Amino acid sequence: MIPRERCAYSAIVDRPPLTLPNRARVVVWTIVNLEFWDISRPMARQVLPGPTGQALLPDVPNWSWHEYGMRVGVWRFFELFARLGIRPTLSINARVCEEYERVARAAREAGWEFMGHAWEQMPIHKVADQAAMIAKSLDTLGRFAGTRPVGWLGPGLTETEETPDLLAAAGVKYIGDWVYDDEPTEIRTAHGPLITLPYTVELNDIPMMLVQHHESPYFTQRCIDSFERLYREGAERAKIMAIAIHPYISGQPHRIKYLEAVYDHVNRHAGVLHWNGIEILEWYLAVRGNQ
Amino acid sequence: MLPSERLEFSAITLRPRLALPGRARLVVWVIVNIEEWDPTEPMPRTVLTPPAGGAPMPDIPNWAWHEYGNRVGFWRMLDVLDRHTIRAVLAINGSAIARYEPIARAAMHRGWEFIGHGFSQKNMQKVADERDDIRKTAAAIRGFTGRNPHGWLGPGLTETWETPDLLAEEGYEYVCDWVLDDEPVLLKTRTKPIVSIPYTQECNDVAMMLIQHHKASEYYDRAIDQFEQLYDDAAGSARIMALVVHPYIMGAPHRLKYFRNALTRIREYPDVLFWTGKEILDWYLAQS
Repeated sequence: MIPRERCAYSAIVDRPPLTLPNRARVVVWTIVNLEFWDISRPMARQVLPGPTGQALLPDVPNWSWHEYGMRVGVWRFFELFARLGIRPTLSINARVCEEYERVARAAREAGWEFMGHAWEQMPIHKVADQAAMIAKSLDTLGRFAGTRPVGWLGPGLTETEETPDLLAAAGVKYIGDWVYDDEPTEIRTAHGPLITLPYTVELNDIPMMLVQHHESPYFTQRCIDSFERLYREGAERAKIMAIAIHPYISGQPHRIKYLEAVYDHVNRHAGVLHWNGIEILEWYLAVRGNQ
Repeated sequence: MLPSERLEFSAITLRPRLALPGRARLVVWVIVNIEEWDPTEPMPRTVLTPPAGGAPMPDIPNWAWHEYGNRVGFWRMLDVLDRHTIRAVLAINGSAIARYEPIARAAMHRGWEFIGHGFSQKNMQKVADERDDIRKTAAAIRGFTGRNPHGWLGPGLTETWETPDLLAEEGYEYVCDWVLDDEPVLLKTRTKPIVSIPYTQECNDVAMMLIQHHKASEYYDRAIDQFEQLYDDAAGSARIMALVVHPYIMGAPHRLKYFRNALTRIREYPDVLFWTGKEILDWYLAQS
């Protein structure tokens, strides 16, 4: 199905506002992405292209740049979120539970929500048997975390035309791939409705640092600019602000303080909730009917 | 026709003076671009590349990123333009009028000008039948607003050698693709001339944010730098300044205020007019 068959265009101003408990204005949804990069294939992202642009295989420099996030960077995240009392959503390639069990265990022990993020980091278009990959990923995460994930984010947010149908059939309740609104929405699938949550490609360290090549402090500035606008709009209509981070990017020593500064700013405001994907989903399902 | 066949080189300082009504020096026109991106084709722009590159289809994340502008971002922008009592120019794909009818309705209700922007967001050199595309776009605008569009902006400013001829033959009176001057100029066509009104690739969020990857604040800084220079230049003869925005870019929550603040600053000048393209056209034709 193409997007139009799943959901008609809707202007946000034509919908009744959603309201949060205790007149809260903004939900901050933090998503930490953990990935497995297969050294036998081209790397998912590169900080350093090969000399003269030659593709390298194996690509050890970029593999180890990502590996740094798992060995070092992610522990800065665990420390930060423990200190703040925030339990993010973990967007996790299921293979991470096997290859980086120590990291996945720390997230489980910290009470983070496990969200499906495919088996490993490659465009979903290149997966030979998508249904089997989805089942294997959700089974693996379910076994590891103790509960089966209800959320899903495609690797690089990728989908084929049938992905939402396969996800709904596998029991997934929400997806993050549709970054087309400030509110959750419902889309059609061949196996019943699926909810989209407003994930982000704006407050996301991949487009900002690896594609647009912004300086590290700009992460703080852009998040604060977003927050201030959404906080103002949140007086009339509940707003959700996602922050998407990767340990190999925002976990770098030179970037972590700019992430910390975002939470310092946001937490100085009343009416801000830090929720995970399941909490947003349950709230939306409860309130959308009775506005 | 080659550009040199459409107009001769002309240095701006050697032309007769253009004068605006009252003691106005400068006209600013704001163009809001509304597009429809076909999810079965490659996306015109992207914010996120897929892991390990390539261009897998469909491209849902980038389709959704653009769609955000029409669902949410446009409405923020509308609020800013309302507060500054600015009637913008809506450069709209013909197909987007029906698809995003609430947007077209909001623009018509406020008396914005509609200009053709291709039937879909596709390079004019790849459109199968260019005349038909131009005609269908005019028909879509006429069907909704009750009148033919006066102006045209090619998708991505693209043209074939024939585009200005076709536009003139199909009743368009001005074109925005020729960003070669600070004053309107006349372009020859096979039939009657068409006016080129100064649009911009400089104060344009596509170029600034998506290609040059500037911080959002650069939109404000550049708009004001551009404005101050043109305001100075306009001491001798009127100047036109364009500000271009797309709801999926400047309508993002973190970018909007830089657009808003630029308008607030420029609005402080009593001798600056905010006009539509049609108003610029009528004034220019009356001058020459």
